[in-house]
Amino acid sequence: MKHLITDIQRFSLSDGPGIRTTVFFKGCNMHCTWCHNPETLSMDRDLMFYPAKCIGCGRCFSTCENGAHKIENGIHIIDRSLCTKCGKCAEKCYAEALTMSGKEMSVEQIMFEIRQDKAYYDASGGGVTLSGGEVLCHTDFALEIAKACHAEGISVAIETNLSLPYEKIEPFIKEVDLIMADLKIFDEETHKKYTGISNKTIIENIKRISHPKMVIRTPLIEGVTAKEENLRSIAKLLSGKENLLYYQLLNFNPLGDSKYQSLNKTNDFSSLRPYTDEQMKAFGEMLSNTGIKIKVSE
Amino acid sequence: MSKIKFINAYPADKYYSYDERIALLRARKISQTEEKAKLGGADEDDYGVIVQDEFKFELEPNHENGSIYGYRAWSENYSRLLASHPLYCDPLDAFVGKGFLFMERLRPKQYKWNPDYPFDDLKKIFDKYNIISGIDNCHHFTPDLEIGFALGWGGILKLLKTERTKHDESHFEFYDAEITVVEAIIEFLYRISDELLELSKIEKNPMLSENLFEMSRVNRNVAEGKPETFREAVQWLCWFSMLSRTYNRGSAGGQLDEMLRPYYERDTEKGILKDDEAVFYLACLFLQDSRYFQLGGPDINGKDMTSRLSYLALEAADKINIACNLTIRVHDKMNEDFFIKSIEYLFKNKQGWPRYSSDNALVEGFMRCGYSKELARRRVAAGCHWMCIPGMEYTMNDTVKVNLLRTFEIAYEEMMLEDEPSTSKLWELYRKHLKIAVDATGNGIIHHLRYQTKSQPELILNLFQHGLIEKGINITDGGANYYNMCVDGSGIAMVADSFAALEQRIEQEHKITYAELDKHIKANYEDEDGEYIRQLMLHSARYGGGNTLGDSWAVRIKDLYTELVRDLCNQHKGINFIPGFFSWSNTILLGKSVGATPNGRKSGEPINHGANPCSNFRADGAVTSMCNSIASIQPSYGNTAPVQLEVDPGIAGDKEGILKMAAMVKTILSTGNTLLNINIIDTDKILEAHKDPMKYPDLVVRVTGFTAYFAMLSPNFRQLVVNRITSVNPKSIKDK
Repeated sequence: MKHLITDIQRFSLSDGPGIRTTVFFKGCNMHCTWCHNPETLSMDRDLMFYPAKCIGCGRCFSTCENGAHKIENGIHIIDRSLCTKCGKCAEKCYAEALTMSGKEMSVEQIMFEIRQDKAYYDASGGGVTLSGGEVLCHTDFALEIAKACHAEGISVAIETNLSLPYEKIEPFIKEVDLIMADLKIFDEETHKKYTGISNKTIIENIKRISHPKMVIRTPLIEGVTAKEENLRSIAKLLSGKENLLYYQLLNFNPLGDSKYQSLNKTNDFSSLRPYTDEQMKAFGEMLSNTGIKIKVSE
Repeated sequence: MSKIKFINAYPADKYYSYDERIALLRARKISQTEEKAKLGGADEDDYGVIVQDEFKFELEPNHENGSIYGYRAWSENYSRLLASHPLYCDPLDAFVGKGFLFMERLRPKQYKWNPDYPFDDLKKIFDKYNIISGIDNCHHFTPDLEIGFALGWGGILKLLKTERTKHDESHFEFYDAEITVVEAIIEFLYRISDELLELSKIEKNPMLSENLFEMSRVNRNVAEGKPETFREAVQWLCWFSMLSRTYNRGSAGGQLDEMLRPYYERDTEKGILKDDEAVFYLACLFLQDSRYFQLGGPDINGKDMTSRLSYLALEAADKINIACNLTIRVHDKMNEDFFIKSIEYLFKNKQGWPRYSSDNALVEGFMRCGYSKELARRRVAAGCHWMCIPGMEYTMNDTVKVNLLRTFEIAYEEMMLEDEPSTSKLWELYRKHLKIAVDATGNGIIHHLRYQTKSQPELILNLFQHGLIEKGINITDGGANYYNMCVDGSGIAMVADSFAALEQRIEQEHKITYAELDKHIKANYEDEDGEYIRQLMLHSARYGGGNTLGDSWAVRIKDLYTELVRDLCNQHKGINFIPGFFSWSNTILLGKSVGATPNGRKSGEPINHGANPCSNFRADGAVTSMCNSIASIQPSYGNTAPVQLEVDPGIAGDKEGILKMAAMVKTILSTGNTLLNINIIDTDKILEAHKDPMKYPDLVVRVTGFTAYFAMLSPNFRQLVVNRITSVNPKSIKDK
């Protein structure tokens, strides 16, 4: 069995405890407008184009059977309406200005990467993080990876939006050691507006899942999630939750901008900048009287 | 140009705390660094040398070519130099001991080696294969400074004179030269003491005047006598640094905390030394010279040596916060608290110190050479990438480099003359040529050992070798207890990537033929489609990628190189040859002699740094992958193939991050790696400093094994450091 994987990131330090390898699945059921990994949203492969790497060899023009590569006003552009995502142009692009996001990989191919850093997981309390896209959209394959990791003594965490019904995800959830779940917006309508779906299932799942340990996270997006009322409501929801390790406030990640450009997509948050360390600290202090453990990422 | 005396330079009525003194001394150090940088970059250690124009010295040659050779010329010139060498004195400092020059560099560059002992045939091979032979290179082994502590200069002089009476005249040249040197040192130190006394009378600030008076007293005590107090011991170390540097850039400090511990414990017990004072003295020691010191680690029985003084040394380095070369030896029974503290300092100051070595990997490796575990444990970190038993070994560490890439190029060119080129044929030819290169390097080392005394005797470091004075011979003539000759290979990643690119693109994927590729290589990839093909080769499976084709080739090359270097032990009985992979700052020099290569490297571009993979070795730049690859190419005979790691400061911004980094360091060193150098560098800052180095004159980077001020490096070398950093930290997250 093979599955579409966006990327595998070794020496990952921000996707859970210790030193980790993060496996990014491809395809998400939410479409958060600030997502810094836009190439993981689609369930299909995506053609990405980085003009700065282009050496102007012209192979992509001669290779493409559909004429998707064009010159407009002296600039190389990709007509996405003509692109079938066949990947032939990227195969010929040795400079890697054109690359395909999404690679069919078997569990064994993924484990080949994962097991190389086992010594680092063991020493740091780290392991593997299955991330997205949305990992719960891929539970069958993710379950196989989780089982393979456990067979080799490697801990498994997931980064998820928990937006699928509990019954569907239960077999997989039972196989993981840590859930890092995002609840971005407490108000249902606002959640729909910015992510494309309701947050009802997410909140139900957060309440219902009592094992394994959980970290609930909110990315701080100015004018959207970074509002006192929103954060307090989420903190209140988490109050008394026994398997909660902590509630984590994540700073905005601006690194997705070049990816949006490579996909010819509009980034509504391209001008937004992360909060300063002091501002992040202030958010943490704001929630200090909520009775739950707060962690702030700089 | 810097002044060399600062008498009455400070307000007469001001009292200075230790912290204020350190801050002012540090500020002066930074301004002196700016002055050095303005005079032009130098891709080497800082050495603590002061650039000034008040003192000039000219050699009196004993050869028509203008150079100096042998015992007498070196000793007499050195004696004359010390007689005229002025004092550098800052009354804020606890010590004197700044030097201005290295005598060995005053020789005409082209006549360093004594022409009466030519090696023309070997030189032809060295030139062909671009080998840095190490012939005439000096120091690069470690003195045991505790000999100096035990005897003092006066005791050493007495021993020299006594031993002279026990030997026949064939040893008189040695003894007479050494006696000349030590007498000159003692006279010099007395003069310094006298001068300090006079300066104390002139200085108007009572506190600083008193300090100068005390300095005078301390210097008088150590001019002949052995140091008795903590302050005297550190002053003795400062002078040793200056005296050995001034002679021939002589190297290496040793196990600092253990060396000074008896003095610290004695003085604190007597109540004449407090911790803040000890920290101040140590900070002044680090300010005086960027010499290599080891802290912590196991004693010969494996017991951890971390003491209160180990902590104070870290605290002192933290306070002075300049280019320090401190190494923590990581071992199974390590003091965890001290280790974590060191990681905190590493990330707090971002100055590339400390670095870390692996006791297990080094000890197991050295024992494979036939040495005991106890001796292996005594081999302390003492140079850029090297270890040495203080006072026991002669090593030529870090002076010998076999250019593995140039050797590859010769083999490749020979293969392309044949009908059916292939990687298997290339491997056969590579083996043949590498053997020629390594054998010639071994013969070069033997030539150096045989005749170095006729060129440049080690008149300072000889004095701190166990049993050498009693033997009455220079260290290269059999004066050392052990001869463990360091033979480093340089450019392994480039060679591995070249083999891998050929195998992958030509033999596996059939994307190009040997003939087609060769056409582009000969044209330096600048012909039609050249850049396109270069990109093809450049993006093949590289060393550092994690069990890639490039990684497999690197292991094969490591095995071959290790076998050939170890075979030198059979060719030259009684001498141990130890392989390692390191380039020092020769990456630019060694790359210049090599044309375009199959890994997509263009003609003249630098070789890879040490054992590190080439830039862009892996899309995610995963340091775990890189470190695993470097672990796989350790020759494992006690010398190193160091990991040079560049880390963004953001990853250890809190306690959790520190603990992650601590786990990372331990794992890197428990998976076979021997030595770990870490740069904590903000990508944005280094890019800004690259544009305008004087914007950050205090920015320190760990260049190779040594730390240096970024502003001091040449533009080409700065570019290499920047490339290394951006290949693992391609983007900044500090875009706020």
